[in-house]
Amino acid sequence: MKKLVAVILSLTLMLGCNAVLAEAAPSAAPTELVVFAAASMTEALTQIAELYKTVAPNVTLTFNFDSSGTLQTQIEEGAQADIFISAGQKQMNELDISAGADKNPKNQDFVLEGTRFDLLTNTVVLIVPEGSTKGITSFDDVATDKVSLIALGNSDVPVGQYAQDIFTYLGVWDQLNADQKITFGTNVKEVLAQVESAAVDCGVVYISDAVTGKGITVVATAPEGSHKPVNYPAAVLKGTANEQAAKDFLTFLQGDECAKVFTDIGFQVPERK
Amino acid sequence: MDWFPLLNSVRVALISTALIFLLGIWAANGITRLPAWLKGAFDTVLTLPLVLPPTVVGFFLLKTISPKTALGSFVLNAFGWKLTMTWFSAIFATTIVAFPLMYRTARGAFEQLSPEWEACAETMGLSKRFIFWRIKLPNCRAGLLAGVVLSFARALGEYGATSMVTGYIPGKTATVATTVYQLWREGNDALAYRWVLIDLGISMVVLIAMNLFEKQGGAARAGSTD
Repeated sequence: MKKLVAVILSLTLMLGCNAVLAEAAPSAAPTELVVFAAASMTEALTQIAELYKTVAPNVTLTFNFDSSGTLQTQIEEGAQADIFISAGQKQMNELDISAGADKNPKNQDFVLEGTRFDLLTNTVVLIVPEGSTKGITSFDDVATDKVSLIALGNSDVPVGQYAQDIFTYLGVWDQLNADQKITFGTNVKEVLAQVESAAVDCGVVYISDAVTGKGITVVATAPEGSHKPVNYPAAVLKGTANEQAAKDFLTFLQGDECAKVFTDIGFQVPERK
Repeated sequence: MDWFPLLNSVRVALISTALIFLLGIWAANGITRLPAWLKGAFDTVLTLPLVLPPTVVGFFLLKTISPKTALGSFVLNAFGWKLTMTWFSAIFATTIVAFPLMYRTARGAFEQLSPEWEACAETMGLSKRFIFWRIKLPNCRAGLLAGVVLSFARALGEYGATSMVTGYIPGKTATVATTVYQLWREGNDALAYRWVLIDLGISMVVLIAMNLFEKQGGAARAGSTD
């Protein structure tokens, strides 16, 4: 008799559990979103991932942070990604068929139509190691004897392109190259690490890297109009198997909660209509 | 075409190979005299760079010699030398990464040499130094040469640790390996291909040299044991 009761009880329990699972399934199927994001977004997105756990506990966010150019190449080579957030329009344009043939010469079609928007803007700054005694206070100083070595991103890294714009605007780009004063990093975090360790006299990064970076001092902001605006376009990618979850996350990124995270780190959030 | 990366790579590889040659023989010869338990411990430490990812070596190096560390700042203040981000920074990286190749090959060669030779020479009253220079080294020549070639090849191709301690300064610290990576990132495939071909050529020459030494060594061994 006892046995029978036990069997009945356990059966009821099992059925009950199944019912709960079945009810929960449609709204909270475990989903993994793979987000390819510019290295400069590392801190912001890591914080946002924590916030998102309470909003959508069923979604696991997996990040791949590197230079936007490297991420672009990985996407072209078939990397499985749901979302791409670039630190420059160029890298996104070259994956976006709607950008037109002049901006997307290879006519690549990776961006899901209608999902692309400008998430953030950022500011380009000149940083020196903390306690630097070289007296570097402006972008103009880079061409003088005060600087013997500067770290920049290479031409494939958005912040490297902005730096090239700035020094070209100041008329010293060719001279810096001729003097062999530049070490080219493969993403913005490498530039930051080289300045932090005082391996170089100064470096060009984003204000958002400088805010979270340790052991560095911001000495100058890029002169107005010296480079293209620093926009961070974001989009869902065509290969995604979780279109809705990806769209939901991008919507979340545009909310007030995320705006606070972004602005605290030094990004600017554009006005949205 | 700017040949600097090739010159720099060869310069770095030659100097580090010379260092590795001396250090490797010294370590390999010294370790045979240690008690067994110490031998195992030293052997593990000395071989570690062979299996560690070069990025780990680069990381340790940066934490040891970059200007904000004790050693790095001391050298900078005392001599005015910055140990990172210069062409010779690569020597530290390549020496550590390629060292185990010389060390292991030399140790193998020394161990293959019959201990009776040494004992025999000692009964003749020959000094340890004489035995090392005139008996051990010449008889292990082929093995040691193979170690040199292997170390040189490894040093020439080192990328991970080198790029971490030297950065990429065109005309100053660029090596063939870091140049290929940079050209690929910049989308300059045409130039990247050229460097790839040059590197392939060098590597083949090195391997052919390796095989020649091995043949020679085999012949020498066959001759000596008969």
